[in-house]
Amino acid sequence: MSGEDRFVLCMLAPAVAILGLLVAYPVGLLVFDSFFKVDTITPHMREWVGLQNYFDALTSKRVVESALRTVQYSVFALFFEFTFGFCAALLFSALAGQSRWHRTIFALPLMVPPIVAGLLWRFLLVGNIGILNYGLVRLGLISDPEAIAWLSSEDIVIYSVSFADIWLTTSFVALVSYAGLTNIPKDLLEAARIDGANAFKRFWHVTLPLMRPVIAVVVIVRGVDAAKTFDLIWIQTQGGPSHASEVFSMNIYQRMVRFGDLGEASASGTLFLIVMMILATVAYWKIWRPVHA
Amino acid sequence: MRRAPPINLSGILINAAALVLVLSYALPYIYLLMTSIKPAADVQQIPPSFFPAVVSFENFREVLRSSTLPRAFVNSLTVAVLTTALSLSVAVPAAYVATQYRRRITTIFLLFALVTRMVPSVALGVPLFQLLKSLGLLDTIPGLVLAHTSAAVPLALLLMSAFFEGIPEELEEAARMDGCTRFQAFRKIVLPVMTGGIAVTALFTFITSWNEFLYALLLTSEATKTAPIVIAEYNSVYGLAWGAMTAAAVLYSLPVIIVTLALQKQIVGGLTFGAVKG
Repeated sequence: MSGEDRFVLCMLAPAVAILGLLVAYPVGLLVFDSFFKVDTITPHMREWVGLQNYFDALTSKRVVESALRTVQYSVFALFFEFTFGFCAALLFSALAGQSRWHRTIFALPLMVPPIVAGLLWRFLLVGNIGILNYGLVRLGLISDPEAIAWLSSEDIVIYSVSFADIWLTTSFVALVSYAGLTNIPKDLLEAARIDGANAFKRFWHVTLPLMRPVIAVVVIVRGVDAAKTFDLIWIQTQGGPSHASEVFSMNIYQRMVRFGDLGEASASGTLFLIVMMILATVAYWKIWRPVHA
Repeated sequence: MRRAPPINLSGILINAAALVLVLSYALPYIYLLMTSIKPAADVQQIPPSFFPAVVSFENFREVLRSSTLPRAFVNSLTVAVLTTALSLSVAVPAAYVATQYRRRITTIFLLFALVTRMVPSVALGVPLFQLLKSLGLLDTIPGLVLAHTSAAVPLALLLMSAFFEGIPEELEEAARMDGCTRFQAFRKIVLPVMTGGIAVTALFTFITSWNEFLYALLLTSEATKTAPIVIAEYNSVYGLAWGAMTAAAVLYSLPVIIVTLALQKQIVGGLTFGAVKG
């Protein structure tokens, strides 16, 4: 081994050790435990059950429902974050140099801890003192401040809890998109203008294709984060009313902590991990790759 | 001769749209600030008012006088500082060799760090709970630091590699010519140049740990509770103590907001950089 190789290994070793102990080993343990009947209280006592935990998880109504809810939540949040964030970035880029203050204020939610965002939105939406409904009455959109029970109606709660997520992360989308927009060569847009392309055509045929890698990053990073959400929803509803806002991560937490079923929680955790990796890979191939090809 | 610019209608519309957008995103937080300085009795008045009729610091006095919140702040601060120190001390050297001395092993290593982002923390939380339990570190500060480090190291690695990619190779070569060993070149030449990048990464790592909720919920009980857990309890254990909650939330979020605004340029740069690279 050359001196250089030895140097590389020495510099790498502590990080490898930390990631091995704190990520690789736990993930291995997660997968291992998923084949056993294990209790959270007595994790050293394991009983081999093969694929039983996976079977139980996939046939449990509550588990499947929480998985579907995670999809609902993530798609809804991602759609609005992306739409608002991208529009904000376009506005900022149209304002160019004048947008400094706009961007500064818009970045504010980015610095707010998720737990505060969750509490804040609960406070804005909560029955009878939630100011949002009073604002809607003032605007004439609803007649009575009790008209929409954002957090206590089982039909809409999964969407209501995503407002905090949308509020918190639109600015991330906006800032990343803005950085992407400023990197688009001005002469390309100018050339399209000279060729007679109107603003919409320039956007569709020049801006959007060039923004593809940035869009891929935003969709992957935000999609993965939205699917993982725990704290924002937990703080608003703890998964209620009657599990109507219980997403997959919360379902795993509940089974491990409340019901002490470590084996089944591990099986669900393993499934969660596999699905996330597949989705991220697909998103990477479908959105990112074509631009390089 | 210059003509006065014509009134630009689309310019006005763009400005107005941007203003509406920005204000609607700032309003919720401003409402939080306004609520925190209302007298506790006014917080839940019906109908709610946006601005306080009287300014009062009663809510702040209440949360600071309670025994749990100040202690939780100390816990949060300790955990975040230790997590940052531990994560940076392993991630900075690793990111340096991964970007400047490319090998198959360093590529695999960076890829592994990237994949770690996909791991849902609840999935990692299940076995981390067991690991800390078997090490006897459940409900201890070192245990929580280890849990936070599992998320902080990949983040620090990705940010630092983005920063290291920006430094010229000649820098290290020149140091080597002058007779430095590889490690001396790293310590005496490269590190001082990277202070800015390291500072941004440290701040990000700190904020990630400061904001972390799920591991704290899983791995702590009375003694080592962090601030987000105690703040969350304001809306369950003590009923709906909205006044105290808003004050605690302001105290908890304002330091980060102030520091971030002060260093805004570097941080937004680092964030978008890290995101696009990662």
